[in-house]
Order: sequence, then structure tokens, then C-alpha cells
Amino acid sequence: MSGISGKAWRQATFTVFKKEMRTELRSRVSISGIALFAFSALILLTLATATLREAQTIAFSKMLDGMTVEAIAKLRYPAWDWVSKMGLLWILLFFAAFTGLAHTFVQEEEAGTTLVLRMVSPPTAVYAGKLLFNFMLLLAVMVGVTPVYMALTGMVIGSPFVLLSVMLGGCLGLSATATIVAALAAKAKGSGTLFSALGLPLVTVFLLLLLNAASTANTIDPSALRLLRDVGGLYSFAIGVIALSGMLFPYIWEE
Amino acid sequence: MIYVCYGAFFIAQPAKGFNGGAGETARIVFFHVPVAVLSYIAYCVGAWHAISVLRARSKPGLAGRNSDADRKSAAAMELGFVYCILATITGSLFSGAQWNSYWNWDPRQISIVIMLLVYAAYLLLRSALSDRTDRRAELSAVYCLLALVPATFLIWIVPRLPWLMSLHPTEVLAQPKNTSLDYKMVLYPSFIAFFMLFGWMLQLRVRMMRLLSRG
Repeated sequence: MSGISGKAWRQATFTVFKKEMRTELRSRVSISGIALFAFSALILLTLATATLREAQTIAFSKMLDGMTVEAIAKLRYPAWDWVSKMGLLWILLFFAAFTGLAHTFVQEEEAGTTLVLRMVSPPTAVYAGKLLFNFMLLLAVMVGVTPVYMALTGMVIGSPFVLLSVMLGGCLGLSATATIVAALAAKAKGSGTLFSALGLPLVTVFLLLLLNAASTANTIDPSALRLLRDVGGLYSFAIGVIALSGMLFPYIWEE
Repeated sequence: MIYVCYGAFFIAQPAKGFNGGAGETARIVFFHVPVAVLSYIAYCVGAWHAISVLRARSKPGLAGRNSDADRKSAAAMELGFVYCILATITGSLFSGAQWNSYWNWDPRQISIVIMLLVYAAYLLLRSALSDRTDRRAELSAVYCLLALVPATFLIWIVPRLPWLMSLHPTEVLAQPKNTSLDYKMVLYPSFIAFFMLFGWMLQLRVRMMRLLSRG
């Protein structure tokens, strides 16, 4: 932490976060960019999956009283289940994040304020502040998009606690990966293409873990241990990326 | 290497425990497994040299070593990419012979193909930075180390996810009764041969890069 006390570091982090918030509120580029992308994609997605929803409605209408839960699950299986809905929602959020989250660093480079920021706060605090900001941004978009998505696709909530922890873990991992890759791409003076090309392979691995956690959450009555293992896997990826980024960010930041 | 090529077809007895094909298809193991293992080890070698790139920066006296470590890291990553392609192809051939489909999204196939993407992204970053040699070493070292988290998850965790069912015959081959002594007498030298081949190719590539940068 480059020789400053924990309190000073926290203060610096919070200052960077506040500064990001203020710049964002001035122009609202990131949030409106991500939100616009997410909602357009949402509409496209709903149109494209119309047949899947119809198939599901037919399957539901075939259900008889007194059917076991397993039989219902089997009847529903080929169509559009919880896991695939979750997967599509996250693909949507992934691409939305990769359109907007680079903005914090790109704007810094364009405005030429990098040097000032480097002088006033230690690199890890800059990283932490920007990560916090990106996380909040993504969280805000997710909170807006998810209910609409659920209503449009007929995705059920299931266990609210599990859903919440999967969504939060997803946001954390996604914003962590996107933040560090954005820093890298901005320093490489790369276009948005470079950012997506570098970030998406890493995030694909995370999607696999996410879908794994979603499929566990979807099984009828999963044991607490399985949930802990699979949802915990999600968080361990996010924490691993954050820890490594904290160590590597100074090398990107200081030229 | 010659011994391995010969032994794979003429010395080793077919492995047991495979359905249908009497284990003849398992001969590809002699090539596939070392190559697949190396495609991860190459990554670790690349990451190791990436660490020394970053360490050299904090110590001003080591500036000369920086570019050499960068070369080694890049060469290891390039070779890793090649080995990863080879592992994908040999795995796909086995899959075609054994499961009647060249690609069926087995977890190992998923993870190797994403591993390929990670390697490709690294090489893309390097080529995007080809005109900024001052920052290329550090930035690509950072990306290499950062992608170590997904790479480790890909190799150790994704194939074991309960959500994905794997047909990959790791367990079948790991049981001692399924392979005969002469099978092992080919498999272990095969590992040694491929590791030596990797070391040799790495050295060649690093020397070539040194010459290129001098000229």
C-alpha cells in the first residue's frame, strides 16, 4: 500500500470513488450507455426467444394435477429453463459491461488527468476507487434490468437469497475483470475492440462458473454444502482477480 | 522422440477399460496428454518470466534483464498457443474415433478452447503494442499474470464442475489395472520427450527473437 496508513488509504479510495461519481453525474455517459445497450439487447432477446416461450406455455398447459415435481421438471427441460435464462441474462450484462466500463480509464487518458491522479493518490487506492465505482454502476444497471428481464421471459425468482448472492457475485467478478482489463486497454491506447478482445476470454471462464452456480441453485432442494461450494466458487474467482489486480495495477498505472 | 513415435504404435499394448474400440484409440494418449499438460505448463513458464519482467522494473539495475525475460515469456506463450492447438486437434481426433463426434462440448473441450482464446488474446495484445516497445513488456506481463486466474480455473476447476458431465477418460487411464507395463514404458518417456522438445523449441525461439531485436 506504498507506505501509507490504512485510514489514509481508505480515504484516498473514497475520494477517487466520489470523484468518479461526480464526473459520471456530470455527463452520465457510462450509465446511459450501459443502460441503453442493455435495454436494446433485452428487447432483441425477447423477440428472438418468442418461440421458446410459446413452447413453454404449451408444456405448462399439458401439465396435469398430481404430477410430481420431477415430471414437471422433465416436461419443461428442453425448453428454456432457469439456467439458460440466467445464462442469457448474464451474456447480456457481460456485453453491456464491456461497452461502458472502459469509460473511467479512457476518459482519464483523453482528458489528460492521469498524471494528476497519479500524484494525489496511491495506485491501489485509484484501483479500489474505480473498481468500487464500476461495481456500483453495474449493480445499478443489473437492478434495473433484471426485474424487466424476469417479467419478459417468465423467469421465476426461486430462493431470493440464492438469487441475490449469485447476482452480487456475478457483478463483483464481472466488474473486477472489466476494471483491470479496461486499465490495461486504455494504457495500450487500444480501441474498444482491444478491450473486449482481452476481457471476454477471461470473462467466459467466469460465465461457466456462474452457470454452474445457477444450475445448482436450480436443482430441487440443493444442499447447503453444494450451494456454498458452487456459489463460493463464483466469489473465489472474483476475489482472485481482485487480489491479483491490486498487485498488478501499479505496474499498469505508473509508466 | 523417435522412440515415442515407434513405441506408441508397436510397443504398447492397447489400454483396457475403453468401450468398443478395444483401446486402440488410446494410443493417441501418448501424444495428447503430454501436449495438453504442456499447454498449461507453457503458461506457467510464461507467467514465471512475466514476474521477472515486473520485478526487474522495480530494481533499476536489472533493466537489461527486463527485455530478455519479456522475450522468454512471449516465446513460452507462443509455444503454449501451438501446443494448445495440438492438444485440441489430438483431443478432437480421439473424440471423433471414440465418441463418434469430433466436437461434443465435453468440459475438457470447452476449457481447452477457452484456453486457446486466452492465449490468442495475449498474442493480440502483443501485436497491438508492437510499435510501443517501451510499454509492451510490462503490459503483456500484467495480462499474462492476470489471466493466470482464469487459466488455473480452466485447467483445475472447469472440468470438474458438476453442471458439466465429462466423458474424458482421465479416471479410466489413471487406474493401474487398465494399462500394461509396456504402455507405461512408452507414456513416461513420451512426457520426457515432449518436455525436452518444448525446452529446445523455447530456446530456439528466444535466440531467434534476440537476433531479430539486434538486427
